[in-house]
Order: sequence, then structure tokens, then C-alpha cells
Amino acid sequence: MVAVLVGNHYEVLGIDARATPEQVERAYRFCLEMYGDASVAIYSLLDPDEQRRARSRVQEAYEVLRDPFRRHDYDASQGFTRPGAPMPSLPRPAAGPVPVRVPPPPPPRLAAPQVLEPPVDGAALRRFREQRGISLKDIAARSKIGVRYLEYIEADRHALLPAPVYLRGFLQEYARATGLEPQRTAEAYMSRLRRASERQ
Amino acid sequence: MMEAVPAVLPASAARQRRQVWSVGGGKGGIGKSLITAALGYQLARVGRKVVLVDADLGGANLHTCLGLAGPSLTLGDFICRRADRIEDVMVETGVPGLRLISGASDFLGAANIKYAQKVRVLNRIRALDVDIILMDLGAGTSFNIIDFFLVSDVGILTVVPEPTSIENGYRFIKSALYRRLRGAATNGTVRTIVDSALDHKNPLGIRTPLDLLAAVEREDPASVPVLKQQLTSFHPRFVVNQVRDPSDVSIGHQLVTACARHLGVKATYAGYVPFDDSVWRCVRQRRLFASAMPDCPSAQKVRELARGLMQGESLALTW
Repeated sequence: MVAVLVGNHYEVLGIDARATPEQVERAYRFCLEMYGDASVAIYSLLDPDEQRRARSRVQEAYEVLRDPFRRHDYDASQGFTRPGAPMPSLPRPAAGPVPVRVPPPPPPRLAAPQVLEPPVDGAALRRFREQRGISLKDIAARSKIGVRYLEYIEADRHALLPAPVYLRGFLQEYARATGLEPQRTAEAYMSRLRRASERQ
Repeated sequence: MMEAVPAVLPASAARQRRQVWSVGGGKGGIGKSLITAALGYQLARVGRKVVLVDADLGGANLHTCLGLAGPSLTLGDFICRRADRIEDVMVETGVPGLRLISGASDFLGAANIKYAQKVRVLNRIRALDVDIILMDLGAGTSFNIIDFFLVSDVGILTVVPEPTSIENGYRFIKSALYRRLRGAATNGTVRTIVDSALDHKNPLGIRTPLDLLAAVEREDPASVPVLKQQLTSFHPRFVVNQVRDPSDVSIGHQLVTACARHLGVKATYAGYVPFDDSVWRCVRQRRLFASAMPDCPSAQKVRELARGLMQGESLALTW
């Protein structure tokens, strides 16, 4: 068996334990591309199942390291100390899934987030996501939005989507997770939705 | 994160020790010969004494890349002893400091030369009074090709950003490494394990050099250090050819990362050469792009590549 991805979260992303949030983000993007469905570099080296497992290890590592609280706890549990790392000082969020999320500020990233050409509908979002080799589960794990809702977004099942105030947040999270520009992506999708409902 | 592998000596030391560089890649038609010719041209231009060796026995065309007619005497004549001295089959290219030992396009049997003949060729080539011997290897992963690659001081692995080429690139690395490990095996048990690793459906489940080491660890732990030494001293250098966009450039970094993580091989990213219309236009005219169009993007990148290889530098992945 090929050793898919072993080691701690930092080794999985190929970064130093002192990496800045920007470096975490860039390393994550690199690994996502490398282990994505469309990856050329990994072709014939890993089978599809191994590739999926590698991707979920990358996702898991990123989930922890992008969150200052979780990263702090993880570092403490692994015995990593980061001299000069700011201690998270904000009040900790309540444990357990948060039903409605306020979208966090967009993480800094190397590649500028992309903007889709109109029409920005479910199919366009899905095509972009699949090109990036990101699964709905990956997005759900990152955003805590249920896979069901992500499927409704991609299938344009407008009647089943939540109220616009929530939907906007969902779309922005979706965009962040796939590398799209959040505000413009959400706006483009929602204005198309508005036009469709006006026509009815 | 990844530092340069200091296998190539700096310019002053290179004068004292001649080096063998080889350009392989597993797949045909990915630009090995053109890159070899352009690299040789560039090395000669900065003052190195270079001899190009067309080791693509059976499919030689390095002379055409250089705009030369097929020489009357070739490596094939030396191999089958129609020429006594390797110098007799070496021709001037018109570029000062750059000479060529052409391949054996007239002698198909040369594609299957015997081991003893290969050793004779290598020894004579190594004895030439030059700084750098630059070999263009043929496509495939036959022992002929791999043995030339393994004796090189600098082993360059060319790929293009396509699955077929990447697949052959990994196959090339594995074949070369297993051949090397087999040569280092001190007993029959280890040789048997290495041999079975060559079969993709081997019962031991060995798919990578790391798996192979694990299998040896179980059967004959005493042999592990010598094999590990062979593994850690194997440093293929990737060149990504026909790069069309920034994500193609990134493939080189991904290959290096993938080799380290999934094969246990410390490869480096020597550089890339962009896809460039000037190159094929020059090929049509049987002129070398590096000399005919020195300002084209490909020629510029080849200059960087040559400089990096001489100085033992590689493209580093920084976050």
C-alpha cells in the first residue's frame, strides 16, 4: 500500500509549525490542486481511492490549522510551541454545530479568487468545483453547511433553498471553499434567482 | 522547504572533474533531444567544453536538432568496432566548444547493445577531454537507457504536463531506482524482492520504493541501510517542457512533492521551458532555436536552466 499521507497536520500540508495563516492557506491550495480529481502530477501514482483519502487528510489538516482556536489546541496537544504566535483572545464559540453562521472574513490567499462568467447558476458552480477537485463533503466539512443544501444550490432547486438572508451566507461559504470571489458569486447567483422568481 | 542538491560542482571545480549529464524522460516526443541540444549550446556558449552524445540508439536525431547532416561515422560504428577511437566518431557542430557524437541511426542492432559494449562506450566517453558530456537518452525504460541515466552525475528527467508523460516519468524513476537497488543488493533474498517489485502485480504488494524498503525490512533488515543509501543518493531533476500557463509551472513542484511523499525519492525541479511556436518553426528549418532565436521565451528559459544546473540550484517551493 502506498503511504497516502502520514504525519501531523503540518506535514500533511508540507509546512512548518511556525507557518503564518497566509502560508497555511497557500499550502492548502497547492495540496488541493495536487490531489484534485484533475491533477496531472499524481496521475498513476495514487489510485482514485488513495487520492480521495489524501484529499480528506489535507482538508482535515486545513480545518484545524485555519482556525486559530483549533490550531492553538492542536499545537498544545502535539507539543508545538510557536514563539510569537498570537494567543486567540476572542471569546470561544460554543461547542457543537452552529445553526446559522455569520460568514467569517475571507482568508488571505495567494491566487486571487476567481469570478465566474454569467450565468452563475448551480451548474456553473458545480463545474468550477469539480474542476478544482473539491467534493461537496469537503465544502460541508469546511462551512458546516449540510451537503443537502449544497446539492440544492447546485441543482437550482430554488423552492428548497433557505431564505435569502441565509442563502447569501451559504453561497459565500461555498465560494470561499472553492476559490471563488464570495460577494460577487453570491450576488450573481441570487440576482439570477430573483429574475427567475419574477418570471414565474 | 526544499534546498538544492549540491551534486553539480561550481564552475571552477567543474574544470577539474568532467561530468556526465543525461536527459531522459520515458516518453517519446516530449522534447528531450531539443532540450539536450539547446542545453549543450548554452553550456558551450558560457565556455564549457561540451560533447553531446546521441544515446537514442535506433532513433537518433540530435544532429538534425543542431542543423547538421547525419555524420558518416556514428556511435554505432564505434560500438561494432568499425571505428577504433571514440574521437573518430566525434564531429564539430560549428558552435565553438560543442561537439557531437551522433547516434546509430544507420545501425538498428545498436538499440540492443550488450552490457560489455555499453561499459566500453561509457568508459571511452568518460575519458574524453571535455567538461560536460551531455547524453540524449531515447524513449522508454530499457536497461540501455536507464544504465546511461544511472551513471550520470546529473540525471535530467523531462516531462510535459500530460498524464501520459507523467505516468512514464514515474515509471522511469521507479525502473531506474529498482535497477540501482538491485545492483546494490548483497544477497539473493533482496534481489528476489527487487525483482518482484518490477512486476506491478507482485504478491508482496510493492508499488513504490518505500513499499520495497518495508518488504526488505521484514525479510532482511541488515540490508536496509545500503538500500536506503541508494535511495537517498538518487536525485532526478525534473524539467517540465511545453509549459502553457502558471498551473503547468506548478506541476514541477507537485512532482517533486509527490516523489518525496509517495516514492521516498528526493527529486528537484530544475526548471521549465515554455511552449513556444518559435521552437517548432526552427525545427522545421532544421535550426536550433537556442541559437537561431536566442530571445524567444524558450531560449531564455533554457539559459536559466543551464545556469541552475551548473550551479546545482533548483526551483524552490516557497509559501
